[in-house]
Amino acid sequence: MKNKEKPTVVWFQAITCNGNTHSLLSANSNRLELFFDSFNLIYHPSLTIDKSLDDILNSNSKIDFLLVEGSISNNKKFFQISNNSTYNHLTKLIKKATYVISVGSCASFGGIHAMFKEHVGVKSVKEYFDKTLLKHQIINLGGCPVHPEWLLQTMFLLKDYGRIALDNEGRPKELYSSLVHHGCTRNEYFEWKVEGEFGTKEGCLFYDQGCRGPMTHGSCNKILWNDVSSKTRAGMPCVGCTEPTFPRDDMLNTKKNIGIPFEVPLGIPKRAYLSITGVAKTFKIDRLNKKLMD
Amino acid sequence: MKTVDIVERIEGEAKLNCTWENGLISDARIDFLNFRGFEYILENKSPLDALIYTPRICGICGQAHLKATVDALENVYENIGEKLEITPKAKLLREIGLNIEIIDSHIKWFYMFILPDIVKLETEDLGIYEPIKGKRWLEATKVASETIKSLAIIGGQWPHTSYMIPGGVMSDPTLLELTTMSNYLDGTIKFFENSISGVSIDKYLSFSKYENIEDLRGDLKYFSDLSLKYELTKYGKSYSQFISLGENTIFKKGRFKNKLINGIDYTKIVESEKNTFTIEDDNSEDKHTWAKSVLYKDEFYESGPLSRAMISNNKFIRSIYTKYEDSIYTRVFARINEVALLLIETKKLISKIDISQESFLEPKIDLKKLDGVYGESAIEATRGSLFHKVSINEGKIFSYNIITPSVWNLGPKYNNKFGVAQNAIIGAPSIDISKLILRSFDVCSVCTTH
Ligand code: SF4
Repeated sequence: MKNKEKPTVVWFQAITCNGNTHSLLSANSNRLELFFDSFNLIYHPSLTIDKSLDDILNSNSKIDFLLVEGSISNNKKFFQISNNSTYNHLTKLIKKATYVISVGSCASFGGIHAMFKEHVGVKSVKEYFDKTLLKHQIINLGGCPVHPEWLLQTMFLLKDYGRIALDNEGRPKELYSSLVHHGCTRNEYFEWKVEGEFGTKEGCLFYDQGCRGPMTHGSCNKILWNDVSSKTRAGMPCVGCTEPTFPRDDMLNTKKNIGIPFEVPLGIPKRAYLSITGVAKTFKIDRLNKKLMD
Repeated sequence: MKTVDIVERIEGEAKLNCTWENGLISDARIDFLNFRGFEYILENKSPLDALIYTPRICGICGQAHLKATVDALENVYENIGEKLEITPKAKLLREIGLNIEIIDSHIKWFYMFILPDIVKLETEDLGIYEPIKGKRWLEATKVASETIKSLAIIGGQWPHTSYMIPGGVMSDPTLLELTTMSNYLDGTIKFFENSISGVSIDKYLSFSKYENIEDLRGDLKYFSDLSLKYELTKYGKSYSQFISLGENTIFKKGRFKNKLINGIDYTKIVESEKNTFTIEDDNSEDKHTWAKSVLYKDEFYESGPLSRAMISNNKFIRSIYTKYEDSIYTRVFARINEVALLLIETKKLISKIDISQESFLEPKIDLKKLDGVYGESAIEATRGSLFHKVSINEGKIFSYNIITPSVWNLGPKYNNKFGVAQNAIIGAPSIDISKLILRSFDVCSVCTTH
């Protein structure tokens, strides 16, 4: 394929920690290479070498895919790139773009950077530009950072089909309709209410460690991270980073009221959940109370 | 004459303002114009939430922030006389995770952030080193992502895992997983041998004198030849004063000022906002960057791999330093040298893990029950020494102070003394060289200002 036939991609970095960039670089390398082969990444502030952001801003060329990493602000006091606010740059870029993808939770929902109260005006791409006359809806790829494969899959799908089904939060349904809980290797412990602890392979992290798996949309446990693992598989509770509510308070602790979790798995009436829990707890399953390797 | 230039292709962005006299830079100001307010964001949060927040200061050195946070929170326990017991296994798993991140970062930095610019001095055709397309560039990306898998096995993912916690670590690897981790690092060693150094890693690690550079092949030799040709051995010199605040299996803590001085007194570290923007609107003309100035006993010190090599007495790097001082050349060499050291050391650390030990021992006291306490920590991160200090009032974070490695190197003037990188840039004959000097510090603007 010749270069000019490939869709052009511009990666704009706004208020970010660069985590999404490093997430992409940590993608499966065959997949990443296929991405470089199939798309024409004309600008990324840390990867490409031919063009500067100013070159892109001043050019009239269309951008097929505009990827935005980081939250947006119109306030130059706290944040500016190439002598301007991220909002002003994005206003220019978005006009040239066919698809706009918010990469990661900051671009999608404001994320951690919107927690800095003194910096008024830190928002998601959608909050600033939803009213812009775009041909396609802005796509939110929540996740702090985004899973690299989710980004690649979204890009390839749009390239081949030109459309993607989105949920109420603007996230691709195919990636965000299931919960992080799906595919977690601790599910059996969840079912039989066997509580976990930090530093063990056994037990479910929902009861004490604050795991948000049953309330968080994302395919972390179906499409593994770095090809090898996921937070809950390794022993870290899900902190719900794909949701607009991230970050929350007291993330490594399960909020409870007289021993009952404040929040129960999505879509399950609290009462029903509690009666099932009661029943499940009456079973004492030896296998689940032993070390896996014993 | 004055020039202003925006520097991209570092982590983030910086603005370089140079004043020229007779074709040489006579004054250089480095502006970091982005501030994300992490220290403010952390106020009033549950202490353990810091484990989720601080890794997100930086997408490339998040494990360093995580380790610094865990150490600072454990120091809180120490300060109230309730020192936690941490098993050797947990300690090892933390050090291993951080080491892997440093290896990943150094490889990316060499191939993405500095080598293309050095090759450009020679030819416009970057060939195998061309970003996105070049064979070696792609290989380097591949090896970085393979390396980081090793960390993902114990962290669940990278970037942004918080698998360390006061009392130990959250994960509990099996022998099989440890073997797999080691296997991934074997792949990286192969890359080091075949592409970076062109010699076996054992042979590389036996190098102790400058002349050994002649034994090198591979990209390091290519870098070395180009550097000599374009005099990168001459540029980038600053104070030749080095500091290393953290300590682990391979790095020692201390200072170098004409000679080696062991030990560090953290109370001698002073951060100044004299030339730094503040969130209040009283920003005078002197203020031009969000980076602060940080000094030890009122003096500027360089932090990073070169400092670590000087303080831990690495013979090979010392011999290069003796010849070319703290030039671009020496600085780049020191960073790549660490890749070999860390690879071998990290494999050793993996082999030392006794999986029968506990990963985590729960602290008896909840941090949320504490009032009027504080803790601090210093560790060696990819770009140098990272310092965290946390204080807790009524169970919530009252204040959190972070001094990142890049603040040591990239901060502005203090009392008419130039900051380390500023000082290194003065005397440069062109913008290209001054950018290379800046890059030689492995600039991370996100960390610099956090
Ligand atoms: S650890 Fe979390 S994701 Fe896994 S089963 Fe338990 S609640 Fe679900």
